[in-house]
Amino acid sequence: MKSSVLHTEKLCKTFSNSGIQQHVIKNLDLEIHKGDFTVIMGSSGSGKSTLLYALSGMDKPTLGKVYFGDVDISGYSNDELAVFRRKHCGFVFQSIYLLDNMTVFDNVMTAALALQKNSPELVRKAEELLRKVGISEETWKKYPNQLSGGECQRVGIVRAVINEPQILFADEPTGSLNSASSFDVLDIFTELHGKGQSIVMVTHDVKTAMRGNRVIFISDGAVVGEYEMPPYGTDDIKKRRDGLQSFLDRMGW
Amino acid sequence: MTAMGKIIRLSLANIKKHKFEAVSLTLLVMMCMLLIGSSLSSSVGIKAIFQNVMEKTGSYENFILILEKNYDKEYLNILKEYPQVEKVDAVEFIYSMNTNYLDEQGKEQALTLGFITADNNARLESSPIETTLSDEEIAALEHPIFMPYTMQDTMEYNIGDTFDMIYGTRRFSFTVAGFYETMLFSTVSDGLKMIVSDADYHILKSVLTRYTVIAYNDNWGEGGFELAQSFMDECEAYSNCDVKGNMIFYPFKDMEYYINSSAEMVLNIMIAMAVVIIISVAVMIRYRIAGDIKEQIVNIGVLEALGYTSKEITFSYVLEYLLISAVGVLIGTGGCFLLTPVLLRMGELMTEHRGCGDAATLPIFLTGLGILVFVGLIALIRAGMVRNYPPVRAFRKGQGDHRFGREHFPLRNTKHSVHLRLALKAFVQNFRQNLGLTICITISAVTVVFSFIVFNFFNSGLDAICATAGMEMSDLHIELMPYADATELAEELEQMPEVRKATPTSGYNVFVSISDFNNEVMIPMAFSDFAVTENIFPMEGRFPEHDNEIMLTSQFAKVKNVRTGDSLTLEHLNVEKSYIVSGIVTSSVNGGVNLYITEDGMKRLVPTYHHDTIELYLEDGVDTESFRNVLTSEYGRSLSDASKGGSGTGSYEERIRAEAEQQIAELMATYGVTHIEYSIQTGDTVISGNSSGFLISAITDMKDVLQTQLGGLVVAVRIVTSILMALSAVVVMIILFILMESAIRRDRKEFGIMKGLGYTSHELMFQLACRIVPSAVISVIAGTAIGVTATGLLTSFIGVVRIDMPRVIVLDIVMLIFCFVCAYIGARKIKRISVYELMTE
Repeated sequence: MKSSVLHTEKLCKTFSNSGIQQHVIKNLDLEIHKGDFTVIMGSSGSGKSTLLYALSGMDKPTLGKVYFGDVDISGYSNDELAVFRRKHCGFVFQSIYLLDNMTVFDNVMTAALALQKNSPELVRKAEELLRKVGISEETWKKYPNQLSGGECQRVGIVRAVINEPQILFADEPTGSLNSASSFDVLDIFTELHGKGQSIVMVTHDVKTAMRGNRVIFISDGAVVGEYEMPPYGTDDIKKRRDGLQSFLDRMGW
Repeated sequence: MTAMGKIIRLSLANIKKHKFEAVSLTLLVMMCMLLIGSSLSSSVGIKAIFQNVMEKTGSYENFILILEKNYDKEYLNILKEYPQVEKVDAVEFIYSMNTNYLDEQGKEQALTLGFITADNNARLESSPIETTLSDEEIAALEHPIFMPYTMQDTMEYNIGDTFDMIYGTRRFSFTVAGFYETMLFSTVSDGLKMIVSDADYHILKSVLTRYTVIAYNDNWGEGGFELAQSFMDECEAYSNCDVKGNMIFYPFKDMEYYINSSAEMVLNIMIAMAVVIIISVAVMIRYRIAGDIKEQIVNIGVLEALGYTSKEITFSYVLEYLLISAVGVLIGTGGCFLLTPVLLRMGELMTEHRGCGDAATLPIFLTGLGILVFVGLIALIRAGMVRNYPPVRAFRKGQGDHRFGREHFPLRNTKHSVHLRLALKAFVQNFRQNLGLTICITISAVTVVFSFIVFNFFNSGLDAICATAGMEMSDLHIELMPYADATELAEELEQMPEVRKATPTSGYNVFVSISDFNNEVMIPMAFSDFAVTENIFPMEGRFPEHDNEIMLTSQFAKVKNVRTGDSLTLEHLNVEKSYIVSGIVTSSVNGGVNLYITEDGMKRLVPTYHHDTIELYLEDGVDTESFRNVLTSEYGRSLSDASKGGSGTGSYEERIRAEAEQQIAELMATYGVTHIEYSIQTGDTVISGNSSGFLISAITDMKDVLQTQLGGLVVAVRIVTSILMALSAVVVMIILFILMESAIRRDRKEFGIMKGLGYTSHELMFQLACRIVPSAVISVIAGTAIGVTATGLLTSFIGVVRIDMPRVIVLDIVMLIFCFVCAYIGARKIKRISVYELMTE
């Protein structure tokens, strides 16, 4: 029996604009298991990104609850959520969002120092992680506008995992990358998952989704299907792709 | 759409988008407009006061007061011989620096007063009397008195009120019958000329010092000081007695200067404050445009791609700030029309004259125009940077292909707080903008430090002011009769248990001049031994010890470029002696013409010299007022005689004695009689007496005099400095609010990302506030250094203002905290940045 790292109870998210209300997430009950690579899929506008941000404490739910372990974070203030994020979460974004006015290394350290005190170990850890994702030492002092998209996203991943978050959230992490860069980035995610990292990723790309071991399909703000697979690399790729495709076909993908 | 239409649309859109900053800038421009416009406008009116009062009063242009006993009618003929002199007259006048009046609470306050009859006054000036009483009502008054307007304006006397003048223990009550404008003796600090009835004048004449006022016109001051100096020399040569030392000169130019300068000082301070604001406005505009271009750079690229020229975009910025400034200028102009009459009235109160001209409108409009041109130019120069961003570069957010900038404060070296490190990084990255901020805060800090020092100095009471007086500030300043032996009386007084110390010194009866400086008249402060003085502090050199040494004031030394060790020649009645300057002393009284000399030094120049004054220091807890009465009854019967004699009370013998003493007092005051003995036989009784108890001619509480003379100034300085400090604080606050608002808008994305990484709003607010700390620290240190130096320079001519450095340091800390708190509060909008909004934009 897998333990739960995050779960929701009747989660709702509604947006209001000029008096018109749009219910994006509707009474959603969901459980994210520890050590899982959970992939959230769905068509455009289905509410997958909104769900990710509500789960991660980036945004507050309109109604319902989000539990991190046994702690309800849905009533947290913005600053409490910020502290929650820095302690427990890591984020990788489609638009990467590196700090343009900081070097590669400082981008990583900005996240690290939000939680930890500076120490030679921390610096060493940042260096190791950067090397591990293929960012060479001569790149560390470069600024984001001097890097390729793939390099930027790899720096983004290092920034997300430097604090060893209990859960790593990724919103279309390969959305703005070419296929070669995407492959490299996904390999990093797979490796992290292999080491027991809990990951929740939103994507609309089947190749990306194949990296997960659990796929949740959302439609119109509600979970309409779920598909489980063995960890990536432990089974036959073709069989894996066919199984996932078949699930998605059933979901009307 | 026409090009102009496009520009206007862009400008309005920008203003709408940045409402807070637009309002803040409007406020600054408005304040600037208000200060400069109303100052310049009222300055024209205030400068007209002197001219208006001269015309209104038809006054003589120059006055010389000379002791009646030293006056000779021939002096008028001497004066008439000067070609510049057009009109001459001489009238009687009585005057004393030792008079008091009873204030509202019935407490005695020092006030220098002069008295003149209506006829004599009409010979000096022809100002109309303002009164609500009819001639019959005035005639019915027992003791009517007509006062200068300042008594109504600053001391709030009204027609029908009682005015009590105190001289010694004698009280003279008058009823206020009207007010009038005057040039001579028209201010509380110089003294006030009161018009009284002939009968009252006659009574006062036997008590107060009699002078002759020589009045003359010399074509609006054309003759100047040289004419007066030459005239006095001729008078002295004619009479062969010390005329110069007993003359008080009120030249045209001095009267004009004092009337104009007192009000102009406030107006100049206001203009200086406005300059601080306009510099801040310029820095803010530069900062805002730079920030806005950075924020809007992609949009600028899009606009350029759509066909907008960089010139059109530049002009849209210029128009934006012109529109904002125009609103500020318009509101400020309205404010000017409201504030100017207030300033004009303030000018009248400060100059103690009624006669302001009308508010001038041209300076207001020129100020408005000047501000708009200035703002337009600043905006044009700064917004011109748009042309450096062609579309492709703008799409790349203005960055070139490569970045070779040096990395500052790398986070791997963080030792303490990451927030401080990030703040320092941001400070260095925005160095040029922070330089502007540093300039703004520095200017404000200079204003605050200067105002604080002056405020603190005046707020610490008269003790601080007395400490810079450069003269003894005893409890009682006792002037003796000419025949009295000061040393003997001082020894006698020191035996009294209430007396701590009695120091014989010189009064204002003998003056000397310095031959090296065009015979400039000096007031000797002579002591047998300067070691006994308590309030004279040499700032350079030492006290005079030998009979050929003198000490001068710092003001005099600076103006005349005299240094310790220099040799000067003193002159008195054509006798000249050389003296060495042994030291320099601070002195804020008598315009710096005090001359410190030993008793022997004085005797070398004036062989007949002897001390004629005693500075009396009382033991703690002794009531000054009561002890003054004791002294008056014991040694100063010349002061109290008439009150007893005129009362008509007491026994027959007492009344005879009182009458005799009144006669003695009159003989001594009028004819300079030095000793009188009398015996009166009435029936079998012989009533005898002499003038041995008539040693004291006047007793003054110098602190009281200072209180009256400086009271108004102290209040005015406190108000002006408080306003300056508050205004500087408001300016700094607005600047920091604008700065924070712009920084948040410009770095919105970065802050959103950092929020996403787990930085709380308060941590980011702290970071933002920390960004200004280096600027604030540099500014406060520089501001303090400049402020302290400026205070020293500006006040060195009136004496040394003691700078309380510990308090200034506390002020610096308060300024730093204030800047930090303002920046922190200004950064509160960071709370509104939602991470989700950032992710989904």
